[in-house]
Amino acid sequence: MKKRRVAITGLGLVNPYGEGDVGDFFSRIMRGESAVRYHTLNDSPRPLALPLVACSHFNPIAVLGPPLANAMDRFSHFAMASAFSAWQDSGLEKHCNRDDYGVSWGTGSGGSLTIERGYQKLYFENKEKVSPLSVVLAMNNSAASHIAMQLGLGGPCNTSTVACASSSIAIGEAFRRIREGSVNLMLVGGSEAPLSYGVIRAWQAMRVLSEGDATTAYRACRPFSENRAGLTLAEGAAALVIEDWEHAVARGARIYAEIVGYGNTCDRTHIARPDSCGQVRSIAAALADGGLHADEIDYVNAHGTSTVEGDAIEIRSIKTAFGEHASKLAVSATKSMHGHSLGASGAMEALITTLALYRQVIPPTANVTEISADCKGVDHVINQGRTNVPVRAALSNSFAFGGSNAVLAFRSVSS
Amino acid sequence: MIMIMNDLELIQNFLKDRVESPALDKIVPEATLTELGIDSLMLVELIFEFEDQTGLSVPTDIPPPTTVGELLQQLKDIRNQPATK
Repeated sequence: MKKRRVAITGLGLVNPYGEGDVGDFFSRIMRGESAVRYHTLNDSPRPLALPLVACSHFNPIAVLGPPLANAMDRFSHFAMASAFSAWQDSGLEKHCNRDDYGVSWGTGSGGSLTIERGYQKLYFENKEKVSPLSVVLAMNNSAASHIAMQLGLGGPCNTSTVACASSSIAIGEAFRRIREGSVNLMLVGGSEAPLSYGVIRAWQAMRVLSEGDATTAYRACRPFSENRAGLTLAEGAAALVIEDWEHAVARGARIYAEIVGYGNTCDRTHIARPDSCGQVRSIAAALADGGLHADEIDYVNAHGTSTVEGDAIEIRSIKTAFGEHASKLAVSATKSMHGHSLGASGAMEALITTLALYRQVIPPTANVTEISADCKGVDHVINQGRTNVPVRAALSNSFAFGGSNAVLAFRSVSS
Repeated sequence: MIMIMNDLELIQNFLKDRVESPALDKIVPEATLTELGIDSLMLVELIFEFEDQTGLSVPTDIPPPTTVGELLQQLKDIRNQPATK
């Protein structure tokens, strides 16, 4: 059976820089501008301030209205806002009532803010009851369900929870459904709202968060740099509309890029320490799935979280997977600017990779002073994006705790 | 300070926050909760708001109201119950 082609026709996000649109977001990314700030949690039992990417400007009541906003956790607020934005960008009718359209969403911890608020009431405020909406606010699939209800999408409505690979896997699985012909269009993406006291303390306990103060926070995340010192947590969301190529052409949609491949493997070695073998297999699987030769790839959006161990292993994986081509392969880690939004990060980086192909540019890794010796061997794009460069095809890597790896392969429309 | 409102105002304010384009003029005794857009989960939310505002407790073993009139009567009965220790 002939495989169908899959087009990307809509992009949306909650812009971590402020009120601007996707274009504003991408311009800042290309300039190497960091969205990381020294942020203080106001509702924590002890003072807690650290470098974070918080979407403090985002007002769910203003964006969604009181009835919708009051029926959702913050991770669903982000999901809805990004989904509405992508849907509008794709030129689709608001409430379409289509059973051949679906949702595939990713989140790592779903409604953890709702769960934490419930614990506060029960254990510290001595209340006997929590909100009757607690279950439906907190469940990980609530964001996808709200998107389906609001947009009228009656096909599959699924949620992937695979830590930092959640939304890349959500996109990859949806891509396969469209390619095989079981659906025509999927709203895909991911959202995360992890900036609660308990969640941040848990990440701190792992000793993987980068530190900083009000003057240094913006450069807290510096992947591949010799002085890298850990990741920077972020909240937010990104969404894409992906659809059967002919379906997109028939309705006159703008096509940003094509998704051509998806690799999905497990390291099967350690719950938190990444393993190069699993990553290499995932990259190779994405290339093979997309019918791409290694030397056709002009850009890799790396997982690049800025941890000492993880970054070095990822570069080793890229060098192994690409062989001689690695030294000519442009690589960047955009988490240096938008932070690590965990289950949403794959979607955020898929959006960035899509725009890199659409505009024929390559975004940078920000905050790099000098590339670390254990991260050399690829063409690092640092601090400032490259313009007017050929970008025929690109990969986006997502390597999660648990050893789950997802690599998405994209191709430029012009190629 | 928590403002104590009457039960009709409680329903009106609740609907403003939970329902798109609430028909506040249709909050009449014979109106069903369903036609006002109040489902079973929202009814529990409304009852919790009543409890938080009044400090009273709504028993869980009474039949759920189906109309605004039944709901108002139940809340009135609870307000009028003698305080117990």
